[in-house]
Amino acid sequence: MTFSTRSWLHKLIVIALFLSPILLISPKTYITLTISGLAMGMLLFLVASGFSLIFGFLSVLNLAHGALFAWGAYIGFTAFSFINKWTGWGGSDSVVLNIAIFFLSLLAAGLFVALLGILTERLVIRPVYGSHLFQIFITVGAMIVLEEMIRVVWGPDDEVMPVPLNFIGSWDIFDVVISKYPLIAIILGIIIYLTLYAILKKTKLGTVIRAGVENPEMVQIMGHNIYRYFTGVFAVGSALAAIGGGMWATFVKSINPGMGGEVIVFALIVAIIGGLGSMTGSVVGALMVGLSYNYVAYLIPKAALGITMLLLVVILLVRPTGLFEEGT
Amino acid sequence: MQDGLTPVQRFRLREKESRFREPFFFLKIGILAFFMATPFLFRSFEITDVVLKIIIFSTLVASYDIILGYTGIVSLGHVLYFGIGSYFVGIFMGKLGWISYGHLALALLIAVILSGILSILIGFFSLRIRAIFFAMVTLAFMEFTYILASQLRSITGGDDGISFKLPGILAVDYTFGHFWGIDVNGRIISYYLIFMVCLILFLFMLRFTHSPLGRVLQSIRDNEPRSIAIGYKTYMYQVIASTFASCVAAMAGGCFAIWVRYVSPDSSLSVPIMLDVLLMVIVGGMGTLYGGIFGATFLLITRSFLPKLQVLMASLLPGAPFAIRLSERWLLYFGLLFILIVYFFPKGIVGTAQEIFRKTNSERDS
Repeated sequence: MTFSTRSWLHKLIVIALFLSPILLISPKTYITLTISGLAMGMLLFLVASGFSLIFGFLSVLNLAHGALFAWGAYIGFTAFSFINKWTGWGGSDSVVLNIAIFFLSLLAAGLFVALLGILTERLVIRPVYGSHLFQIFITVGAMIVLEEMIRVVWGPDDEVMPVPLNFIGSWDIFDVVISKYPLIAIILGIIIYLTLYAILKKTKLGTVIRAGVENPEMVQIMGHNIYRYFTGVFAVGSALAAIGGGMWATFVKSINPGMGGEVIVFALIVAIIGGLGSMTGSVVGALMVGLSYNYVAYLIPKAALGITMLLLVVILLVRPTGLFEEGT
Repeated sequence: MQDGLTPVQRFRLREKESRFREPFFFLKIGILAFFMATPFLFRSFEITDVVLKIIIFSTLVASYDIILGYTGIVSLGHVLYFGIGSYFVGIFMGKLGWISYGHLALALLIAVILSGILSILIGFFSLRIRAIFFAMVTLAFMEFTYILASQLRSITGGDDGISFKLPGILAVDYTFGHFWGIDVNGRIISYYLIFMVCLILFLFMLRFTHSPLGRVLQSIRDNEPRSIAIGYKTYMYQVIASTFASCVAAMAGGCFAIWVRYVSPDSSLSVPIMLDVLLMVIVGGMGTLYGGIFGATFLLITRSFLPKLQVLMASLLPGAPFAIRLSERWLLYFGLLFILIVYFFPKGIVGTAQEIFRKTNSERDS
């Protein structure tokens, strides 16, 4: 089940499909749309990769992932507001200080939600390992509780997400409008993907995790405490969701407690398209969803979600197990 | 084996013999009588409204139970079909203004057929690979339909929804006369009509689960590899079960729309309703069908009393905004309850009761 002899043909067709909107859209708009599509894809990748990793390794369908995403956005929001009130870095002209405050708030979100993830895994999910049915119920319960806790702590209303001063606006290169923040999101997404990929492929830890995706019992026989790895992977997945949440919030400039619900559906679709448990698959799936969504949203606004569903259905028909294998 | 009967036939015979003697029989009759008498017992609209919603949701939860408790696959988009049923009635009566009995029946028929086709397609796409995909794909489709319903303003009325009138004897301003001091108006008639439809659907589901087909479904739930080994195409049976349940859900949705005379994405097609249904099926007990009645009763009654509880809390705790906010989030407690029930009462009310009853029974026999 690999992309074998005719792999270049498949890839060519896919690339041609994604280039085809240029026939209908002017090139300048096409570039702008492509960049925002890539940014959306990278943000989706952050959410979907955590989801996919958790499913691949723990075989837990973590429906609480969306709530962890929302927690990340809220923690990022709080950390940003707090640091900004204290130092004023968010409103300063200095690019370095802007980046610093952005990363600090993302770091805070990642660490806090990783802890939350460990707590969730230990208290809620661990007792029901092995039973798919109960896992789904339990994670639905965890989703409700986590989402409602946001409403208790921050209140049920929408909040405006602050954005560092230098991240606002756009560059104008040869009359092509390129927004600043999407570019930052793309770069950050690529860095995170490469880091994850390197860890999974090059380190011993990654080897153990990839082996665990294939055959958890065997890993246990080899003397690794698989439950410790489970907790670790869940924490990393949650942190990825949180970073995705913080970045998404900066992208759309507003947060609300139910924001996880919409994104989790996209994450599900991306994870299915890419193949559950595959990082490369998550990237490719997320980019496909992000790009097609943006092109179609420009051409026929109401069909934007339809194209995502169509993509899902086509992939399920053609390659039911997703584009990439587990553990790649 | 000397009588030459299969275990299923022997089970049927035993059930037929003890049908009128078991204690649950009287409970069932009692519940049925209560539902029949409700409009005459309580003369307030609010209580009748809650009771009828219990009836409709019992049917919906029972149909969900066929997928979850009898076939053992998880659907997270069952409310989608409920929404289709509601929306077809709403669009035919409200948007198109075709207010007649024939069109009402046609709307329900189209909704049921469309739900059937859609669930065959979804089952075909997702059940083929892994049963867990079914959960994800159904969730995605429900979210998609929800967004579709709130965006296609010209057809569905967007987020505001559609409110509509019903034909003839179902209309609110229709009066039939007085019976035992009660004004038999369109409301009462629609109450009994919907009650009858739900009862028929429920009996139909009971028949379905006790049929040979239902037995195969239970065998798939209990041990899928073994059912495959015996020679059943489990995938086909799963699709059949989910399609049947979807058609029932569409009818229940149509009934819901007929009762509330209003349809909107939030009232009949949203994730919170799906969560309610999940909670109802867990509270009542999976794989029992009757569990839905208890689950729906518990949830809907709690929900209709919660606002009063909140007012009480707010008056008891003035000046503690955090505590008040904590008391407002009743969904939080439902979530906690959800987790606790899955841990400690995975069989739910009816399942636990059946177990206790069976235990005492076997002790008495031995």
